[in-house]
Amino acid sequence: MALQVEGLRVSYGPKVAVDGVSLDITEGEIFGLLGPNGAGKTSTLSAIEGLVKPDAGSIRIGDVDARTNPGAAKARMGVQLQSTSFQSNLTIREIVRLYAGLYGVRLSRAGIDDLLADVHLGEETSKRFSQLSGGQQKRVSLLIATIHNPPLVLLDEPTAGLDPQARRQLWDRIERLRDAGRSVLLTTHSMEEAQAVCHRVAIIDNGKLLTVDTPAGLIEKHKDDPRVRKVAHGQVTLEDVFIGLTGSELRD
Amino acid sequence: MSSQPSAPLIHPPTLTGILSALLRADVAVQLRNGRALLLTFFPPLAVLYGLFTAKRGAQLGSPIVKVSLALTLGIALIAILGYTASVARDRELGVFQRLRVTPAPSWTIMVSRLALQILSMLAMTLVVLVAAAVVENVTLDPAAYLLTLAMVIVSSAVFLGVGQAVVGLIKSVDTVNAVGRLSFLPLVALGLFGHSDIFGTTFETISRWSPGGAVATLLAGGMQPTAWSGDTWWAFLASVFYAIVFAGIGIRWFQWGSR
Repeated sequence: MALQVEGLRVSYGPKVAVDGVSLDITEGEIFGLLGPNGAGKTSTLSAIEGLVKPDAGSIRIGDVDARTNPGAAKARMGVQLQSTSFQSNLTIREIVRLYAGLYGVRLSRAGIDDLLADVHLGEETSKRFSQLSGGQQKRVSLLIATIHNPPLVLLDEPTAGLDPQARRQLWDRIERLRDAGRSVLLTTHSMEEAQAVCHRVAIIDNGKLLTVDTPAGLIEKHKDDPRVRKVAHGQVTLEDVFIGLTGSELRD
Repeated sequence: MSSQPSAPLIHPPTLTGILSALLRADVAVQLRNGRALLLTFFPPLAVLYGLFTAKRGAQLGSPIVKVSLALTLGIALIAILGYTASVARDRELGVFQRLRVTPAPSWTIMVSRLALQILSMLAMTLVVLVAAAVVENVTLDPAAYLLTLAMVIVSSAVFLGVGQAVVGLIKSVDTVNAVGRLSFLPLVALGLFGHSDIFGTTFETISRWSPGGAVATLLAGGMQPTAWSGDTWWAFLASVFYAIVFAGIGIRWFQWGSR
């Protein structure tokens, strides 16, 4: 297993953000965590990433216990946060060099430039992160998340705010990670994204995992659920399953 | 991403590698920040000039005391305005959270920042001491220069502790900047009168044992090792006390994220 999470519970004061979440991700699998705003997606990822301390539960990255050995666990995962920012006065080349150093990857200047050229940023190496477009920023973030070639990659809403072209490009890159044997856990609001790139999808709401299956399997499993039938317009879609299970009221 | 290393990393990177990567990046950021560079060197030099040319400057103390006051102001500016502003801004932007998902232990992120601030203070000290020697003929013997640099490091702990307390207790960038400026009055400006009875002896005593006053006394002691007295030792102890209290508050309540 690339990732095993058992009975994860995260709370912020009296508010329970993640309530007994368990999930497994196999090697080479792209696993999507789908949920409305405030459902517990980012909190689940933050606990796996070591940014928040869980109240309970276990997290294993490969054979490493992430709670007792966070340094080794972090070395085995690559992370793209929902809103990423880097030191404002550094160039893209310097940012890549910094993060390569933090992961113990030795890269020459030419090696860094090659990596940036590979993500179509060869002309932007001397620019600052804030000077890049949204799609370019996401590509830099994904490059940095995978600079040490980790077995597990965590992506928090990787395509949020991107235009269709940039989104497709990013999907291609995520699929290339899978082809290289990497496992990916991503959160998303997009049913299209979940169906396009994820092997399995979990729907999370109010901190609890409601269901887990392949996108097609979720539709098959829940197509006769009255809550799903009520919101479906014709043939049941993944979005109908999602809205049926999580409700149609607005979330902040 | 074909040119990336092919084998997954199994072992976390070394601490030395992590610290050197962080420090290199922090130095690059600092050198490109014109405002930070201006804040580091200009105000203490301006104060030094002002103290030596002011009509009633002689009442503030000896030339050594005036140099120590300029150094105190410079150290406090770097720590209370420069350090707090950069930490608050990077926290707001999410820079720290991005660094914390790497194998770098959280303390290394802050140690790199603090080391850079101390280096800036030492550089500022050298510039002020050279200016004092060239313009005002205030020269020290080699041992005094070394002791002064050592006392600058102790003094930096006081004001970096204050800065840490400010960013530990306050999250908003704007409020951190405002409180940083306001805290100058009780913490630094008050200390300017620790060697002067312009406002009476009671005020002089309060001033002398304020954080700014203790640091100024300590730095003046460093510049005159032969005149190192019981008061200098008390200033040293007071500085250590202030550093522990403020840093303790700052570390206890510091949060890496802005939410």
